[in-house]
Amino acid sequence: MTSPTRTLYRSYIIEEYQLTQEPYYVPVADEVELFEAAYAQKIPVIFKGPTGCGKTRFIEYMSYRLGQPLTRVKQNPSPGAPEAVRTDDDIMPLVTIACHEDLTASDLVGRYLLQGNETVWIDGPLTRAVKAGGICYLDEIVEARKDTTVLIHPLTDHRRILPVEKKGELLEAGEGFLLVLSYNPGYQSALKDLKHSTRQRFISIEFDYPPIDIEAEIVRHESGVDADVANQLAKLGGKVRNLKEHGLGEGASTRLLIYAGQLINQGIPPRRACQVAINWAVTDDHTVQRSIEELTTSIFE
Amino acid sequence: MENQDRSTLEQIQEQFRRFPAPVADEFEKAQAKMPDNMEADSMVKWANAGVEIAEQTVRSWEAAAQYYKVSPQVISYMPFNYFMRWTQCGNDLCKESPTLATAYFEASPEAMSQLRSRHIEAWAALGNSLYKGTWKSSTLACKFFAYSPALMESLTFPELERFVSFLDALSHRSYDLAAECLALGQQIFPLIGDDKTAFIGLATALVDSGWREVKSFFESGAKALPKIDEDQRFRFLKIAERLVQGGGTNIPNVMLETSQALSEVDPEAHSRILTLSEALLEESPAAVPEFIKGCAQIMDRLSLAQVERWYEEGVNLLRQNPDGGLAFFKIESAHSESVLEALSSGVEFDRIKPVMEMYCRGLAGSEIKLAASEDLVSKGIGWVSSESPSTEGSTVFVPTLVDRYPSKDENFGWFKVVSTHQVAHLEFGSFSFEFDEPSTIFQDRRADLEKNKVEKERPEGEEQVEGEGLERAWITDMQRFFNLFEDRKLSLDIFTVVEDGRLDFRVKHEYPGIRAAYSVVQADSHKGRPEIESLPVREALVEFLVRLSLQQYDSIPAPLEYVEQAKQITDIARRVLDATSTVQDAAEATLRIYAIIAAIPNEEVPPEDWEDVDTDEEQQEEYTDPDEMEQLLQQLAEGMEMELRPDGESDYESSEEVEYRGDFKPELVQLLSQLRMQDGQSAGEADGQPITQEQLEELLQNSAELDFQAVEGDIQNSQGLFADNLLKEAGMNLPDNPEFGQGPFVHVDDDGDALEASEPQTFVYDEWDFRADDYKPRWCIVRQKTMQEGDPAFYASTLHNYGGLVSRIRRQFEMMVPETFRRQRKLEDGEDIDIDDLVEAIVDMKTGVSPSEKFYWRRNKIQREVAAAFLVDTSASTAEAIDEGKRTADDWDAPDDPVEYMVWLRTRRGEAARRSYKRIIDVEKEAIVLIVNALEAIGDVYGIYGFSGYGRENVEFYTIKELDEAFSDRVKRRIDRVAPLHATRMGPAIRHATSKLEKADARTKILFLVSDGRPQDRGYSREGVEKEYAVHDTRMALEEARRKDINAFCLTVDKNGHDYLGTMCADMGYEVLDSIFDLPERLLYLYRRLTM
Repeated sequence: MTSPTRTLYRSYIIEEYQLTQEPYYVPVADEVELFEAAYAQKIPVIFKGPTGCGKTRFIEYMSYRLGQPLTRVKQNPSPGAPEAVRTDDDIMPLVTIACHEDLTASDLVGRYLLQGNETVWIDGPLTRAVKAGGICYLDEIVEARKDTTVLIHPLTDHRRILPVEKKGELLEAGEGFLLVLSYNPGYQSALKDLKHSTRQRFISIEFDYPPIDIEAEIVRHESGVDADVANQLAKLGGKVRNLKEHGLGEGASTRLLIYAGQLINQGIPPRRACQVAINWAVTDDHTVQRSIEELTTSIFE
Repeated sequence: MENQDRSTLEQIQEQFRRFPAPVADEFEKAQAKMPDNMEADSMVKWANAGVEIAEQTVRSWEAAAQYYKVSPQVISYMPFNYFMRWTQCGNDLCKESPTLATAYFEASPEAMSQLRSRHIEAWAALGNSLYKGTWKSSTLACKFFAYSPALMESLTFPELERFVSFLDALSHRSYDLAAECLALGQQIFPLIGDDKTAFIGLATALVDSGWREVKSFFESGAKALPKIDEDQRFRFLKIAERLVQGGGTNIPNVMLETSQALSEVDPEAHSRILTLSEALLEESPAAVPEFIKGCAQIMDRLSLAQVERWYEEGVNLLRQNPDGGLAFFKIESAHSESVLEALSSGVEFDRIKPVMEMYCRGLAGSEIKLAASEDLVSKGIGWVSSESPSTEGSTVFVPTLVDRYPSKDENFGWFKVVSTHQVAHLEFGSFSFEFDEPSTIFQDRRADLEKNKVEKERPEGEEQVEGEGLERAWITDMQRFFNLFEDRKLSLDIFTVVEDGRLDFRVKHEYPGIRAAYSVVQADSHKGRPEIESLPVREALVEFLVRLSLQQYDSIPAPLEYVEQAKQITDIARRVLDATSTVQDAAEATLRIYAIIAAIPNEEVPPEDWEDVDTDEEQQEEYTDPDEMEQLLQQLAEGMEMELRPDGESDYESSEEVEYRGDFKPELVQLLSQLRMQDGQSAGEADGQPITQEQLEELLQNSAELDFQAVEGDIQNSQGLFADNLLKEAGMNLPDNPEFGQGPFVHVDDDGDALEASEPQTFVYDEWDFRADDYKPRWCIVRQKTMQEGDPAFYASTLHNYGGLVSRIRRQFEMMVPETFRRQRKLEDGEDIDIDDLVEAIVDMKTGVSPSEKFYWRRNKIQREVAAAFLVDTSASTAEAIDEGKRTADDWDAPDDPVEYMVWLRTRRGEAARRSYKRIIDVEKEAIVLIVNALEAIGDVYGIYGFSGYGRENVEFYTIKELDEAFSDRVKRRIDRVAPLHATRMGPAIRHATSKLEKADARTKILFLVSDGRPQDRGYSREGVEKEYAVHDTRMALEEARRKDINAFCLTVDKNGHDYLGTMCADMGYEVLDSIFDLPERLLYLYRRLTM
């Protein structure tokens, strides 16, 4: 569904992209309306929810719906790497940045690179999104350093500006610019919580795993298994999630269920597929593994 | 001639005058009784013999009198020549001691009835042999004669001889003991069967090795031997004898224990076990008792052949490591358990509990607990079968051991099916029955029925007052439902079958994977079912329904006359088998099936009047009640079902439950959950009026779920008891139950304040037995409690007292806070270009040298991620006062004057603040305060715990501050209440702290152990290695921590600490403080060092 990144930077490709299929997303509640309303008013949004429940898919879907061309730029710290450089700054409607604990402010804003005898300023992904007036999606924001999160503050209020210190500039955000963060409140320790000054600049949309029937439909659609298997996978997912807080840090995500479905679709026996895609993926604890094994063998023949 | 004899006799009588009167009296009495045919000559000899005895010494007349007295009886047993030999023996004895002779004569009449004539002399000699001329020996010998008749009843003469020689040997040690054994002997020998020689032999052997045990040996022997298969007793005693020879101690006790163990084993296995024991004797006598005891424990899990393999494994281990082997046979080692597990085909609840509990939680999606059925029975709230699986609404109870099939997989499969079925009750809502909830399949009849019923029962002429409504005569919806039926037992049985059938169908529908195992279990359940043809009609139809629910659809016999009804039942029952049906559907179905069955008289049916019914047809259209049904229900509503029955029909009896489905008690479960809810709410806002004890007892009385016959005692009492237990049970799960806070051991400084409510948490840990080189599985129970709260002033005053130190420490610690960012240069990639490096690179380029590309810099975040657990020894020894030296004598020494003493004592017992001396614990507390203060400055994650306890079942673990708890006033208060408690079992406490740290999310994890001495506790030792055992367990616990990347450090104030800390801490850090007063400062210093 997503084409290789490099072809997307050419304008006509992006035009083409808009014509391709809509990302598959099944709304569970009113999240689509909420997001549209927020976008209309340019209110920054936080997505909360466990891993693999569809946050990223949702933002892709929304960017498509809002008529935004979609671009993914994996945050790339290496200065010499051509992918990060070879971009046309004008067109960058959805920028997804996966945050990690070494993500610095200059990784977001931009930096000087040495080219030949001179240094060249290269915009960071955030800067590009600001200029292009697209959606900037910061995934797993709590992983990033505190100084990074402070950087986004002026972008989230009425100012809508990004100070580019090193160049001595203030960038005004483009019309369509919207900042979206995601975070998973489940496994963050107290140390890594979002500061209130940050979180109170956003509205929060909570995500959870979809209800069993919707999830079964999603699994069926994404993996291509038949409805029965999809149903059973969704059921297993629910059962495994019941074990959360009982030795399981995080429940089996929809993504894992889809993986299992895909394996089954490729001819792997269901029990085995669930073992590798779900059981072993969610835990290393032997007892929990055995429990999930028993759940699997109860559900799958 | 005759006259001559007579005159001789008279002469003899003359001589009696020389002796006290009884001699003559006895002679005369005896003379009359002597046989008539006795020759006069013999008479004279007899009379003379007596005189001869009497003449011997001053006291021998007593013997003579006794002689005459018993003569008539004795002579009846034997010819005269033997009689004279008997006399002679008495005479000889009398020479030794008249008392002895008296006893001899006295015992003779009875003894002679047992004794062969030729043994008379030998018998007398036995008595004589015990007599050593002393008073005590004489008593013993006399007793011997007195007990002889009784002894000879059970002993042969050679055995008696052995026994005497044993007594003789024992008498060298203690006459009293010998006398007691003699007395015990006569009680014991009849009990021990044919192997007395061995028994006496063992007793004799004991005299040499441990004569003090002989008496208890006799006592225990009497108890032990009857428990053993008769043919094996001899071997058992031989083994015991070998143990004695092998230097075993406390043999009587060992015998008792081993025989007890054997008695728990099938007698047919005794021989094999003893054979193995005999072989084991060659390896290690000490292991034999353990082996036998172990056998008893494992026999219900292993077959005899498997026991042998277990034995061989043990012997192998024994050869390598005697202690390990011993622990193996005691089943106190992890290895032993794993061998057992591998050998046994049975599935033990304990082993699979964690997995299955999680499985059940997964299925149900709620906080289900898993427990053994025994636990439920022991609660005394209505469940009586400890074998049946069941549930009471929040916990699933299962049998402790499943050993029905030859393979482990099959047994596990059964277990899984059983648990799944119980969880299904919860998952698919068996207990969420609501009377007013409509059925999805049937037309709802419940409400109508109830109305009719109530109207019928209302006394004539009494109008229902509008608005007041019915008095609520039920507590639970389930009860309300069952109130509809006259025959509760029948209705409950039908409901159970229908509902279980529904669940089985649902489970198989929802969980295709378990279908195969489920079908096997269902098919197997058929085996145990009663023959339908042998049952009276009503029971037969219920059984018919059971078969249906077990998914047998063809050839179920039904009475010829009632085939139509059977088909109706089938039709109704099968409609509930639907993935969407609810418990309400099951209830409506019950209503209808009950109506059908209740209308049929419960009569026996002759064997030829049965027909097999095939029910394998699909029903199509929606269910509507046929006309007959209307009628039947009408009858039901009028309570007519009972009246219609003919006289002389047998009462309906419940058939056995289907085993894998276990006990189903919906009424009780609903009641329990209601009680729990009621208790959960505060009294004021409770919904509706609270349940009264009367209501409760009424429910219990009516409920068909309680089988009062199965409970001993009268019904009234057990109802009350059940009611009480139920209320207790309902209260059990309350979060704020103070019962949990206070353990069996109370704080020494306890003022009686209620403890802060804490989670009722207990944890089980293994213990390391270094001699066996293996873990003792699940050996210690750590009880975690939250420390009580005291006065926060202690915290403040400590900080005040240590003023200077506090500010210094705080400064030092603040300096430790890492610079959040450190600039790192010469990177290929970074935040920005470093001008210096860049200039260099460009210079290089210009001069044609290949430049370094590393001219970026970035700030690296250094995160301080420390989690520390402080484990503070709060054992009793920390109550010791610290000798400060400067203290004045009056301060410390107890005054002599009683009044002053009382005053002194009172001050000693006063609050810590008023205590004029410091205890170790006080310094520990101060150290805690300082460390808390310091750590709050740098923001490390830390937990503070105290530990103590008594025995392995009671390792107390007091939380002063949890790792993830924020520092608060409560923590301050808790510090105040740290007080000396009991012993020091370090291992489990360390393990518990380790498990806490393990969960913490930090790069550096530190476990600080602060103690005042070596680890010690009741049972925290092994024979011969008292101290090392505890030290090694502690070492292992620390080692385990290290393996989990936890840095452990021990700090002790015990001056002898160097002796054992070296072993205990192996390559971990430790430090022995010279003075306890260094503790606070040193602790902080070390902490800083460790975490830098």
